[in-house]
Amino acid sequence: MKRPTPEQKRQWEEDGYLVFEDAIQGDQLKRLQSAFDYWAAECKDEWLDRVEAGEAAATFYDIPNPLEKDTIFIDIIDHPSYYGALMEFTEDDVILLGPQVRTVAPFPVSYTGWHPDVGKDNPLHIKVQIYVGDVPTNGGEFGFVPGSHKPDSGPYKRPLLQESMPGHKTFPGKAGTAIMFNSCGWHASMDNATDEPRKSIILIYEKRTPGRIGPEQYASISDHCQTPERRRLFSLPDLTS
Amino acid sequence: MPRIDAHLHVFTKVTPEFPREVTPICPAEREEPAEKLLDVMEKNQIDQAVLVQIGGTSIEYHSYLLHCLNSYPDRFLGIGVVPINHPDPAEQMSELADGTGIIGFRLFELGGPRDIFETKDVRDIQAYHIWKCAAEKDYVLWLYPRSIDAHLLPYLIQEFPQVRVVLNHLGMTPGKGKFNLDELGRPQIQVSGYNLNMHTTYRLARYENVSVHLSGQYAFSKQDYPYKDLAGWHHNLLNDFGVKRLMWATDFPWILEEPGYGELTSVIEELLPHLSESELADIMGGNAKRILRFPNRNT
Repeated sequence: MKRPTPEQKRQWEEDGYLVFEDAIQGDQLKRLQSAFDYWAAECKDEWLDRVEAGEAAATFYDIPNPLEKDTIFIDIIDHPSYYGALMEFTEDDVILLGPQVRTVAPFPVSYTGWHPDVGKDNPLHIKVQIYVGDVPTNGGEFGFVPGSHKPDSGPYKRPLLQESMPGHKTFPGKAGTAIMFNSCGWHASMDNATDEPRKSIILIYEKRTPGRIGPEQYASISDHCQTPERRRLFSLPDLTS
Repeated sequence: MPRIDAHLHVFTKVTPEFPREVTPICPAEREEPAEKLLDVMEKNQIDQAVLVQIGGTSIEYHSYLLHCLNSYPDRFLGIGVVPINHPDPAEQMSELADGTGIIGFRLFELGGPRDIFETKDVRDIQAYHIWKCAAEKDYVLWLYPRSIDAHLLPYLIQEFPQVRVVLNHLGMTPGKGKFNLDELGRPQIQVSGYNLNMHTTYRLARYENVSVHLSGQYAFSKQDYPYKDLAGWHHNLLNDFGVKRLMWATDFPWILEEPGYGELTSVIEELLPHLSESELADIMGGNAKRILRFPNRNT
């Protein structure tokens, strides 16, 4: 596990984000891409039926229960490229809230406007977005307003056009890039003017608070969580208890 | 500033003069005539209204709507209906709209690929020719599309940026099988607790030619008037579209019995209590007058 450098810690405090290029690479990245594509294709028809029934958004879809579908989706939760930073920023007490293994359709308008996920009084809430495919500029890349996570920042208002958000920064990147951000900061998916869907995985974490996630939440993958650290991350009971 | 009810329906019993389709929501003997509407409007200081066609898509089924527009030209504007599979939609649209007070057309479906990943050419969308005609003739398009069609809207709006678009009923897009009639015989739409339209219709706020009705609360809410569970949706629409692109409407006659027309005239104040007087006046009629180009009312 690699702890963040002093410069990374400063950037996290000041800007509210970190970028880990090549966080996932080589054969592991290929395996992730292959699992992503297979399960996204498998789940697409069911998603379209849900769109038709008014039960799902038409502009993107997530693979349901990905952790039960392929262990690669478990292995990226505590990936050494960024897990050390997660532990550092949460004082070694982080829990997984959930993964979103997400395909976003090419669409004239971004599927989501600028927003924070939580209020500034929420326990530290962190997301890690991993690009499964290359995400070019104007390809639905992640956008963030550096510093917008700070208590004295803002107020901010959602602009009509994604690119009109004052002070924002966009994050095009290669497959395997991971972007960690404080999700009380303002963020968005930029418009996708390409013909390619944006494939990414959004991992949602939080500093542990009692009862936030029950032991049943990830019980189905308990067999894949054999270390005390991983069991704590997934809010599973200690094997010795 | 006039107070304008921007979406409602009037109809008579089925007669040779005013034929219409008979449906569970509009049984043959039911009538909700314009005079009854004018009476409640008068009692509640509402000046004008948009009459939206109900009872069928054919030209003859528009007879009563045309009659009302002709009888009260300074009180009403009309919205007709044209089916997306019409062989020559421009012909029907022109016949209905030319000099009649019909200013636009309502669409319930768009007829494109159901899969957003297969949406490539806007001309492949079945409703393309209706939009093209609307662009050429300056008709308003009045939209209450199905969930499966919502993703097609930005393609059409980008292709025809001059068309004035009005999203009906809070920009909602009902899902298949989620439409029912409640015990009062009025529409009831089952919606997800999480508002999925934030990802499709609300995102259309970036297009300045798109406006939204604040109406139909009774059909989506799980609470009684004033439908406080929908306050968040109203705030989101206000935040995204701004105060100049929202139009209040009652969806008369479905609200007459419950909660009552008078109550509906206060629903915006209830759900958006922080509006200034002039902002409220915009939503209650100023925007409809400007966007739909209502004539001045004869005094």
